[in-house]
Amino acid sequence: MKILLLCTDAYGGHGGIALFNRELVSALAELPECEQIVVVPRVIVHEREPIPDNVQFVFAAARGRVSWVRALLRVLRETKFDLVICGHVNLLPLARLARQQPLLITHGIEAWKPLRDPLSNRLIHGVRGVVSVSALTRDRLLSWSHFAGQTFVLPNAVRAEKYGIRPKNPALVERYMLAGKRVLLTLGRIVAAERYKGFDEVLEVLPQLDDDVVYVVAGRGSDVDRLAQKARDLGVADRTIFTGFIEEREKADLYNLADVYVMPSRGEGFGFVFLEAMACGVPVIGSCHDGGREALRGGELGTLVDPSNLAAIRVAIIDALAQKERHVPEGLSFFAFERFSERVHEIVRRVTA
Amino acid sequence: MCGISAVFAYHPDAPPVDRDEVEAITQRMYPRGPDAGGTWFSDDGRAGLGSRRLAIIDLSPDGIQPMTDVSGQLVIVFNGEIYNHRDLRKRLERNGARFRSHSDTEVLLEMYKHDGPAMVDLLRGMYAFTILDKRDGRLFVARDPYGIKPLYIADDGRTVRIASQVKGLLAGGRVSRAPDPAGVAGFFVTGSVPEPFTTYAAIRAVEAGSCFFVDANGPSAARCHYSIAEIYQRAHSQEAVATLVEPATLLGEFVHESLAYHLVSDVPVGAFLSAGIDSTTLVALMAEARREAPRTITLSFEEFRGREQDEAPLAARFAAEIGAPHTTRIVTREEFLADMPRFFDQMDQPTIDGTNTWFVSKAAAEQKLKVAISGLGGDELFGSYPSFRELPRIVRLARVPFATRLLRNPKAKSIARYGRSLAGAYLVKRGLFMPEELPLVLGEEAAREGLERLNIVERIRSVLDVDPGTDFGRIAALESALYMRNQLLRDTDWASMAHSLEVRTPLVDAFLLRQIAPLLVVGGSKSKDHFAASARPPLPDYLRNRRKTGFSVPLKEWLNLPPDGTTTRMRSWARHVFERVGS
Repeated sequence: MKILLLCTDAYGGHGGIALFNRELVSALAELPECEQIVVVPRVIVHEREPIPDNVQFVFAAARGRVSWVRALLRVLRETKFDLVICGHVNLLPLARLARQQPLLITHGIEAWKPLRDPLSNRLIHGVRGVVSVSALTRDRLLSWSHFAGQTFVLPNAVRAEKYGIRPKNPALVERYMLAGKRVLLTLGRIVAAERYKGFDEVLEVLPQLDDDVVYVVAGRGSDVDRLAQKARDLGVADRTIFTGFIEEREKADLYNLADVYVMPSRGEGFGFVFLEAMACGVPVIGSCHDGGREALRGGELGTLVDPSNLAAIRVAIIDALAQKERHVPEGLSFFAFERFSERVHEIVRRVTA
Repeated sequence: MCGISAVFAYHPDAPPVDRDEVEAITQRMYPRGPDAGGTWFSDDGRAGLGSRRLAIIDLSPDGIQPMTDVSGQLVIVFNGEIYNHRDLRKRLERNGARFRSHSDTEVLLEMYKHDGPAMVDLLRGMYAFTILDKRDGRLFVARDPYGIKPLYIADDGRTVRIASQVKGLLAGGRVSRAPDPAGVAGFFVTGSVPEPFTTYAAIRAVEAGSCFFVDANGPSAARCHYSIAEIYQRAHSQEAVATLVEPATLLGEFVHESLAYHLVSDVPVGAFLSAGIDSTTLVALMAEARREAPRTITLSFEEFRGREQDEAPLAARFAAEIGAPHTTRIVTREEFLADMPRFFDQMDQPTIDGTNTWFVSKAAAEQKLKVAISGLGGDELFGSYPSFRELPRIVRLARVPFATRLLRNPKAKSIARYGRSLAGAYLVKRGLFMPEELPLVLGEEAAREGLERLNIVERIRSVLDVDPGTDFGRIAALESALYMRNQLLRDTDWASMAHSLEVRTPLVDAFLLRQIAPLLVVGGSKSKDHFAASARPPLPDYLRNRRKTGFSVPLKEWLNLPPDGTTTRMRSWARHVFERVGS
């Protein structure tokens, strides 16, 4: 079987979608009947991670839109594919070049309401199936698109062995002045368009928590100044730490600084960061009104709160801070790469049967 | 759902609690809770609590009130339902609490131990309760955010008396019956007695969304734990959140959640059904959630047959289409006249509304229902009252010099006088008698005294002390905190409880409002359409395209009410009611 993956980014990409695509490729590469995978990415921004042997990663495609189309056409001329996977709804119009029904992957908010491009709204009805990272994303897509074909839920995978419970890294403790503090952590892009993350809500709760509780806001973005001003207005500027951009290699240590990972968001398609935090044994608080609900397995792996209810967020934080011991929840194995890979294989077999 | 009472002799000089008084207060509320009843008295004679119980969650004797905690230090009487009690129980159990029953009442006791007065911030439901804490000899009192469940207090400076009904407090025989001119004036101005007034000077409503302690110094200042205006103000800055998802989808998700909580019950849950969007959408969502349509009840009046006001044919058609076991209950003049003595006996405070709820609740009880879902609150939530369009127009009009002189509207003078502010415009729109007309109704002195203390325009304006930031939010706050609280919810409470029926209102839910307020602020008056579109399958066109009509009862025809300058003759009805319930 030959598989073509059209995607925004994968190897050398940054963020959740790139990671998902890399794991997807790894899972496809393990599929016994799969002889070749060709990946056509839109962008490459970082040093590339190792690529599996039977994967052809088309670097030349990432030089711009024209290059991407040119690379795709060349790949299509050279190879006849059994399955085309469209890794993002925004690529649906260009995926038509492959002249076969693609399997569409939806990650989150991009699929929660009709797309800006009316053509894509129509093209959705012509896909072979839709894979969503959560049932919530699938249901929200179905509610406006009325897509009647096959749908699959494929939650993100976490390789827990890359994380683990570690002592707090003294260098980071010193850098962020966290000695003797209890730490709340949220990691994400800090931009106006993603105010749904819940940074504001945690800040608003902070004055009601003990003075030794600090809030580490990890990530970068144009909304940092506004949040910093808000922290000053609330009188918690000295208890709010903005870390700026976090290197991938520092992430496990960053999570291990936290006593609680809290992200009462309204906009997560799934919320991979919860899996990372749990893999570090950090108690997590997520939202019952977005994909975080599924990352926390309906509350089995962590605490779910209504993000509009500040009192509930406060109580959940207090309860989580009171937990005596850290542990990696057993149920996290539901998201192990092996399970992810099994799910991918099942989906591929069903859509190519 | 119950009737509760408490007498607490907080001052050292206060006489011990009279057991007969507590019994009498509690017994007066018998229809609120015919399943069981009980009283509890402290050994030192300083406190007495009473309860009448309508058993809906945990039907076993374990749920009986007054309920004492394991330590014997806390005693509670509670009226209402805590819809998220299972979530709260799980959290408490994780924190080490152990329970003896499955009732929400016991959850309240454990929450008080664990969270103290902050517990109210976590409660999703309709409630009025009081907890006697013997450890420090004080009483904790709380009422739900919207004021769905009533609670009244009389404080004579030495003893506080608390009950679910004004008539309950009076039945104890120790509360003065001296009238309150402000409450009386409020009734004639608005059609219901505006909180915190009652028609008795000694009795006050406990403020909705508030809680407080009563200790040796008497009642403490109340803490407001929920403000509707504040929710809308906050939503104003959260509009980005509202645009992430299709409005109908997001509304559907949240209403679905509210409905799921409101369906928590150990007895069957039915529904009131009209031909309006709110009740039909809720019934459709109930059918979807439970994969079985609920039993539905619709009222019909001979006098309206064949007219637009008769919603029964469309309601019956819809019920048939979704497979709901349906009852169309025809009410006649003879039945109304026969019910009137009991109707007025059960009416706790004078009101011009409540007749429809009386009969639809009676019909539901005849169908052996103990719980019914109502679409009440949908117009306030989704901005579908005419007031959402008209109030801003009134304000604009009133600000144009001499413009009102050209109006032929009978309220033109009032528009000129009051309409320059939203609060004044609201008075003009919702008012029954204008303040200057009251001397003709009450006499010069009573009207002057009542109006002075009532200070109606300022009272309306105070709802907007926190500015919601948009006209939609302002009007929604006014309608929810005034008309809905003082009239619709209160009337629904007494008129349904008179038939031992619990009415649940998924669209009047503090959590739901917080969740969808950003969506409402963005969607404005389109929100009702989004709500109608949230049902699966969508509501049929004959319901969605139907012109909105207010629900009315043919009182004019039944009582041959004299002309009073209004088409509905509600002013005459108000006088009729006041003669029977006013004192």
